[in-house]
Amino acid sequence: MTKPTDLVQGTLDLLILKTIALEPMHGWAIAQRIRRVSKNVLQVNQGALYPALHRLEQQAWIQSKWGESENNRRAKYYSLTRAGQKYLQAEESNWERLSSAIGLVLKTV
Amino acid sequence: MRLLQTIFNWLRLLLLRNAAERELGSELRFHIERQIEENLAAGMTPQEARRAATREFGGVEQVKEECRDTRRVNFLDNLLKDIRYGLRMLRKSPSFTFFAVGVLALGIAANSAIFSIADAVLIRALPYRDSNRLVMVWEDSSAYGFPKDTPAAGNFYDWKSRNQVFEDVAALAFGGSFNLTGSGNPEELSGKSVTANIFSVLGVRPALGRDFRPEDDVPGAPHVAILSHGLWVRRFGADPQIVGKQISLNYEKCTIIGVMSRGVQFPDRETELWVPARFTKEQLANHGNHFLQVVARLKPGIPLKTANANLATIAKQLEREHPDSNANVGAFAVPLREELAGDVRPAILMLVGAVCFVLLIACANVANLLLSRATGRRRELAMRLALGATRSRVIQQMLTESILLSLFAGAAGLLLSVWGTQFLAALIPNGIAPVTGAGVDSSVLLFTLIVSLATGILFGVIPASRVSQFHLAFSLKQGGGQSGVGSGGHRLRDVLVICEVALAIVLLAGAALMIRSLQNLYHLDPGFRADHVLVLRTPLPRQKYEAFAPRVAFYDQVLAKVETLPGVIAAGYTTWVPLTNSGGATGITIEGKPEPAPGNVLIPNTRIISRNYIRALRMRLVEGRLFESRDAAGTLPVALINQTMAKNYWPGENPIGKNFKVGGYNEKSPWINVIGIVGDVHQAGLDVAARPEMYLPYQQQDFGFEPEYLAVRTSGDPMAIAEIVRQQIWSVDKEQPVAGVMPLEDLVDENLASRRMQATLLSGFAGLALLLVTLGIYAVLSFAVTQRTQEIGVRVALGAQPRDVLRMIFSQGFKLFLIGAAIGLAAALALSRALQHLLFGVSAYDPASFAGVTILLAAVALLACYVPARRATRVDPLIALRYE
Repeated sequence: MTKPTDLVQGTLDLLILKTIALEPMHGWAIAQRIRRVSKNVLQVNQGALYPALHRLEQQAWIQSKWGESENNRRAKYYSLTRAGQKYLQAEESNWERLSSAIGLVLKTV
Repeated sequence: MRLLQTIFNWLRLLLLRNAAERELGSELRFHIERQIEENLAAGMTPQEARRAATREFGGVEQVKEECRDTRRVNFLDNLLKDIRYGLRMLRKSPSFTFFAVGVLALGIAANSAIFSIADAVLIRALPYRDSNRLVMVWEDSSAYGFPKDTPAAGNFYDWKSRNQVFEDVAALAFGGSFNLTGSGNPEELSGKSVTANIFSVLGVRPALGRDFRPEDDVPGAPHVAILSHGLWVRRFGADPQIVGKQISLNYEKCTIIGVMSRGVQFPDRETELWVPARFTKEQLANHGNHFLQVVARLKPGIPLKTANANLATIAKQLEREHPDSNANVGAFAVPLREELAGDVRPAILMLVGAVCFVLLIACANVANLLLSRATGRRRELAMRLALGATRSRVIQQMLTESILLSLFAGAAGLLLSVWGTQFLAALIPNGIAPVTGAGVDSSVLLFTLIVSLATGILFGVIPASRVSQFHLAFSLKQGGGQSGVGSGGHRLRDVLVICEVALAIVLLAGAALMIRSLQNLYHLDPGFRADHVLVLRTPLPRQKYEAFAPRVAFYDQVLAKVETLPGVIAAGYTTWVPLTNSGGATGITIEGKPEPAPGNVLIPNTRIISRNYIRALRMRLVEGRLFESRDAAGTLPVALINQTMAKNYWPGENPIGKNFKVGGYNEKSPWINVIGIVGDVHQAGLDVAARPEMYLPYQQQDFGFEPEYLAVRTSGDPMAIAEIVRQQIWSVDKEQPVAGVMPLEDLVDENLASRRMQATLLSGFAGLALLLVTLGIYAVLSFAVTQRTQEIGVRVALGAQPRDVLRMIFSQGFKLFLIGAAIGLAAALALSRALQHLLFGVSAYDPASFAGVTILLAAVALLACYVPARRATRVDPLIALRYE
């Protein structure tokens, strides 16, 4: 088993925001989704996930609501706020610019 | 929007802490349970599934703590805990708490009180629109001995019409009393004759009624007046229908057209009403009669320098146009704030410095106490560190305690300062609104809060930061034991005491210099004796006493009646008793001297007096004779002159028998014969040297100056006969208002009030500093003796005599004092130069004062050393060695 790539500081926020942009999700599902979509490359540590969720909520990028889970239990669902949507768009384009810049450097040098 | 949400989240967490905690728990629990289900579905046994899920999750508590941290709930939580803990600690040692709070409260109270005064005088905006654009304009007649002279109406008029720098210029006639008769007792009001634009220049509007209009301000217009808010309330019961009513002012009907808004006291607190000046054309063309105060509003963006240059240009033009009156007469503007704050500014700045020093000493003292306590609490703090508290967490806790202390002190200090501010209100100059109400407004409150917080941090940070120097194992082992405190603690405490001594020396030296100045002023010979003299004023209304003869008759009759009263030694009329008017001067020409060049005219102070005035004030006759009954109307005009006039105007000659006349070289006035020389009198202020001055009898000529002040020398208490004197005056004219009844000594006291206040305050602060320093030295040495008990025991056991022990402790304490004193003296010498112009008759480097305070502090320091040293000599070696 290969060691999952450590998440770059700050990219976790971006991943969380992107993941819940589609629909409200609870913490466990967010972790699962990130792992699945990244084909097991990105493993989110719970020790980092929940503080990050709480921080994003405190900053009002996301909001939370208790609801029924897929297995009929009470779970805390996170969704994007309007400010969070704008923030996500800005961060996404930032990320793209950054990664393409890094790609350029890696290719040419 | 997002910010609001953040704040809302934060508040919710804070208020619903338990609910939030529960939510956090169930959120994490759900995660683990969901994982277990997943594991079960993958085919694990229930135990395996649970173990794997828990393992994968990691420490639940750590995650929770991190979540709390991200919400910043922890910080507040800790703060609340620290506050509760701090309060408990303070309650546990009430004597320490009481002492520390008391010391700090005194320091903070002094700061708040002085700040409220400084705020009123130097900082707070004056109650006028854009008050920083307001200036007063003066004539510069330095050539005649009046560097800041009241302008002549002609000059005012020309400044107003020719300048390019002012939006508008207004004037007030200097002096002015108004007899209010009719309803109620006759009363003399202090009012001002003003140009109609005065309030528009100041940028204020009447609260009731209307402002003056140009048509009110022409000769012959109907009489109108605007009342001050104070007079309206005091005399007219705040009658809302007052506008349009008529009053009798100086025996003429006058319509009240408005009531000025509250807080407008221009030019001073005494002014109770304003009437139009109604200058005549002749007055506005007169450049030689100086009796105005001029206030102007600068155009926006015009700096003072430009205004002064413009005024100087106009003054030069006027010099050319009116050489007789305007030669060597300049003009300049002074910002209104500076004008009103006047001489008080340096004194207030000095006091601000002094109270800062007191607070610093208080801080050093409390820091010292906290250090001793921190030593005692080593074990507790070490335990906390050992149990995993971070250093910053421990420092936070200790700072919370010290800030708690300082906030308590701030609250107590605020209460004290409310009382203190009222006491200090005498420092506020006359033209500035006094601190209203209780003297505490939002700015004082804010200032006190900031000072308290700063204080708490200042004295708390030193002991708190010492925590980070702990050697953990070492401290735990030594624990709360008595011996073995690191030498670092000693050094810090020593430095604090040295600072205290140095600061105290500076304060004491300043106080000593101020007291010496005050003593010099009290012992100064002002040229008259103020004791046992009653003064009062009987300003004769012009309307009633138009002619010269009835006025003379009034004075003659009043004096005849008053002088024969039992208990009266002498009574005399004068234009102004000393300390009431620094000017009042007339140009003269001396017989036999060539016509003076324009600008070199002699202008002595003029006092029109009655025969016995000189005796009533016990002024000194130096040469010649005083006025006698033979110097009556119709006889040879005579005059007395003072020594300065004799020396300046007749240098190297005997002026007695010489003649001069009032007015210019070509004036057709009679020659006046000098019959005597009297001693100089300090007219303008006890600390102001005399100008040339002449005394003329009121019967011989009408000089245009009216004797107003009656001075009565009595054998007993002057106020005891005040009522009888008043009756005598009313028996001459029952409508004549009698004003300003007081002992002459009150005028002297008033003249020194500001200085006395400064000296008293500075001495008070210095005394406080002395007390704090004594306590500081005492505390350090007591602590040292306790710490060194074992060592002393060993020394005694090895044969040291009590004398040796005494010397050892003394030298420890005295060394601190000597270092502190040396630093303090150097600082005091450097700083006392700033005091120079607050001093009188004493050098800022006065060796006696400096030596005196050093000896005083040394004596006190010795006393503070003695008690602990004495205790050290009683150390029993047996007990000391078992002391651990």
